[in-house]
Amino acid sequence: MTQVSPGGPPPPGSLSVAIGDSVRALPWWRTPTARRYLFGYTLLAPAVLYVGLLVGLPFLFSLYLAMSDASVSSPVARFVGLENFASALENATFYTALRNTVVFTVGAGVLKGLLGTSLAFLLLQPFKGRKVVRALIMVPFTLPIAVSVLGWKWMFDSQFSVINWALSRLGLIGSYGSPDWPVWLGQPALALLSVMFVNVWRGFPFSAIVLLAGLTSVPPEVLDAAKVDGASFMQRFRKVIVPMIAPILFIGSAFDTVFTLSDLSIVYLLTNGGPDGSTEILPTLAYNTGIRGGALGRGAAISLFLFPLLLPAMILLLRTLRRRQY
Amino acid sequence: MASVAVVPRTARARAIRRHALIYLGLMPFLVIAVFPIFWMAITAIKQDADLYLVDAVPFWFRQAPTWKNFDFLFHNTSYGDWIVNTMLISFWVSVITLLTAVPAGYALARLRLPGAENLGIGIFMTYLVPAIILFIPLARVVSTLDLQDSWWALVVVYPTFTIPFCTWLLMGFFKTVPFEIEEAAMVDGCNQLGALLRVVLPVSWPGLITAIIFSFTLSMQDFLYSLAFVSISEEKPVPLGVATELIRGDIYFWGSLMAGALLVGVPVAIVYNLFLDKFISGITGAAIK
Amino acid sequence: MSDERPAQTHSTMLTRRSFLTTTGGAAAGLTLADMLAARQAPAQIKGTNLRLLIWSHYVPAYDVWFDKFAKEWGDKNGVKVRVDHIPHLELPARYAAEFAAGAGHDLMYFAGQILTGQYYRNLVDLSDLAEGLGKKYGGWLDAARSAAQVGGRWYAVPDFFISIPVLWRKDLFASVGMGEPKTWEDLRKAAGQLKAKGHPTGMQFSHCNDANHNWRALMYCYGVKETDPSGQNITIDSKEMREALKFAKAMYDEGMTPEVFSWDDASDNRFLASGVASWIHDAISAFHSTRVTNPKVFEQTFVVPEVAGPGGTWNVGEPNVWAIWKFSKNVPAAKEFIQGIADNQKEAMQASLGYNMPFLRGQYAKPMPYLGNDAKLGKLQDQEKITAFLGFPGPMTPPAQEVVTTFIIPDMFTRVARGGAIEDTMKWGVGEIRRIYAKHKAS
Repeated sequence: MTQVSPGGPPPPGSLSVAIGDSVRALPWWRTPTARRYLFGYTLLAPAVLYVGLLVGLPFLFSLYLAMSDASVSSPVARFVGLENFASALENATFYTALRNTVVFTVGAGVLKGLLGTSLAFLLLQPFKGRKVVRALIMVPFTLPIAVSVLGWKWMFDSQFSVINWALSRLGLIGSYGSPDWPVWLGQPALALLSVMFVNVWRGFPFSAIVLLAGLTSVPPEVLDAAKVDGASFMQRFRKVIVPMIAPILFIGSAFDTVFTLSDLSIVYLLTNGGPDGSTEILPTLAYNTGIRGGALGRGAAISLFLFPLLLPAMILLLRTLRRRQY
Repeated sequence: MASVAVVPRTARARAIRRHALIYLGLMPFLVIAVFPIFWMAITAIKQDADLYLVDAVPFWFRQAPTWKNFDFLFHNTSYGDWIVNTMLISFWVSVITLLTAVPAGYALARLRLPGAENLGIGIFMTYLVPAIILFIPLARVVSTLDLQDSWWALVVVYPTFTIPFCTWLLMGFFKTVPFEIEEAAMVDGCNQLGALLRVVLPVSWPGLITAIIFSFTLSMQDFLYSLAFVSISEEKPVPLGVATELIRGDIYFWGSLMAGALLVGVPVAIVYNLFLDKFISGITGAAIK
Repeated sequence: MSDERPAQTHSTMLTRRSFLTTTGGAAAGLTLADMLAARQAPAQIKGTNLRLLIWSHYVPAYDVWFDKFAKEWGDKNGVKVRVDHIPHLELPARYAAEFAAGAGHDLMYFAGQILTGQYYRNLVDLSDLAEGLGKKYGGWLDAARSAAQVGGRWYAVPDFFISIPVLWRKDLFASVGMGEPKTWEDLRKAAGQLKAKGHPTGMQFSHCNDANHNWRALMYCYGVKETDPSGQNITIDSKEMREALKFAKAMYDEGMTPEVFSWDDASDNRFLASGVASWIHDAISAFHSTRVTNPKVFEQTFVVPEVAGPGGTWNVGEPNVWAIWKFSKNVPAAKEFIQGIADNQKEAMQASLGYNMPFLRGQYAKPMPYLGNDAKLGKLQDQEKITAFLGFPGPMTPPAQEVVTTFIIPDMFTRVARGGAIEDTMKWGVGEIRRIYAKHKAS
């Protein structure tokens, strides 16, 4: 038994072979396999119990809420099946929120990926002050979201916006009161872009660091070998680098997508879904309907709406990634 | 002789040009990421009236800069308590996270357990359940544990979103630990648990650090749970305290708000950066299997 | 009233905060002890704990006074009182959590978002307390029942409401030959003429609290009725509503700039303080804060309780009411506290700088605290005659509340201002409102 397989103890059965024919049949719970399982599940238990009890059970409860006519104040609610989901579909604002949510998540995700990748490439190069730059770049991510978003609120202010001030001084736009003075949180498309921008601002440093990790993990020998083989930068990029960073990119994007989809803070603090629903996303609609409006059942249905769509997508993604070996 | 004189200059010229290009490329990123921070810092030491002058330069001062906003933060609010609370909460959340995610990550990485893959996916799925719904049943849990209005309630609740991610992270780390090390330890007489504690953990300390950093970051982002479970001023963490007590209806204490954010965000960024190298290698290990 | 003058001369760089704190505190200390001595609470609540959750008042000095009052009331009655403040928009989330937990504060506060109709099954019936107060202080305003009663029983006790008058710049109006505005047409005319001179007006067309209030004021002044007095039948689909929408569009086109689409609750305050606004429709907290941030503008700022429309003069108030959870462990002390606050209404109103408008008729005897002594604010003493609340003329039912929290009215006005057809907007808005009411009827 000289074969050492990375990633696990030797397969069972080999033990009895090594000992010889005099092996006694062990009861199943004392075989090495069973012991391994026991050990393994014991190790898993704390995490599974913790999350299972505090997330799993509440999740089931929220499913129940979504399928009942619960309000914030009724202890017992009637089961109404999929009525809340149907009622969400009757609400015109729901479609707006759904569309905005998709645009927001996908758009911001793509931007974070692009900006993060470019920044990661830049940070790969050795240069003076790299550590300082890296520290500075991290700050948007480490500031508590509630407060940094409030800072942006002031930066986007219709009268006192520092961005407009700067643009106006640079001559790119007129002064306050002129028709080309942007109202960042007021013009429909601009409002959605602004909230997306804040999300990207917070998130792209993190994407850059994640990608930097991926890029630095590409063994230089592989790259050199490709260089020697005469591959151009683009070829190297596509054939060697991208496949190596793809898993990180996907996992990072997956987590980021999930975090973005359930994040309420940015939109809530900047526009609360306005004006006229142009920045309404599913979390804010769910919050305003379910919690502030008291219709808990319908709020739960709105917030869980994407779950059945995302679940299979995530499963597919994770399964695919696991299959790949690098 | 002439060629010798030319070569160093060209190399240096190349180096300078490279640096210049890099800095040029970095400029937009730095401007986007850092300019708001710079502006927030200026606002933190500006006087209130100065903020509302429409024609004043936002990046500099019309009226003299002042420490009054910081002063207000520490004397008129419980900011000192909030910082302590935030640090303590993050500390305990990290402890809980490590205690649960380390064994779980190890089990999923090393021990080929049936259903492990599905469990891994299941762990990931918990993020799809939004906090705006979860906080209601969790309120019941918190009150049953008699932790309402104490920051310990948050210590109980925050691991729900740190454990899944850190489990996945640590799972990746453990997979990169060569099995030979464990085998060697077991040959020396350890059982698997001993091998884990004595050999695998010490080697994966970058992963542990990474998990701690994430626990800290994720804990500091929350607003809704702290709003729902803590209403006593002295028990609040920084984000909740700052957002609820430095905004009164139509009055935003912008200076103190920015001061409050920076005081907590910048030191954390500095600490992160110190661990950044380890952090980077951590994520690599996690993602590439 | 000479109270505020000494505070202002202390230093030229007085901040808004210290101004408001000083004034409120000075007024409060005078008679607190006297008033507290006037009523003894029953002995059974001695030695108990009382936890209050209220909002963060827009006038910070009021909270200073309130916390002090609570402490002194507690000392006097042997009750350990703890007061927590959170911004009013976050209160519903907190209440949902407390209700789910079955534990939390004893005495709580609905500020603006009236949840009486939703939680009444879990609130202590306060009819005896409320009727008692009504008898003592000359009867409740009719509108008081809207926020506090369900099925004829009082499940909440109204504390005060916030009125949202018109704040206008006398000098700017004079420059276009206009005096005090009396109607919405006046406001529109002034804004139109002053916009050309760089002084537009602004009312929020966004998802914020003020948008819900301001547009309803316009609606009610145009004779729009959201529901019938029972609150069950929707009557908003009317000619009057169309007129109101048309007017809003005209007023926007002529007198406002696109920035109003991004405004939040505080933007119009800043607009006034920056000197740009010709007029705004906002609570007097803007008035007070402008006094500190821009004294020159303040000098020229005056107040009109409300302007008239074709359907009358209606001002939309924002009510604040007390309620007690059934699961509270100290209901008697909570009730006593409500009584105590009501008995000290004069100090409370003074401390709020005239912001808190009473619900009890007897408390409108002139001169009212603060308002009676301020030349500019004096007219607000008659505010109760023209005050309506959300859902008018129906009560603040859960469906009415949901219509508010999902910003349907502001959205309707926004669409029209942006050029949307009135009929399409009506179809959408009324459709949404009907859907919400139908949902609530079903459950």
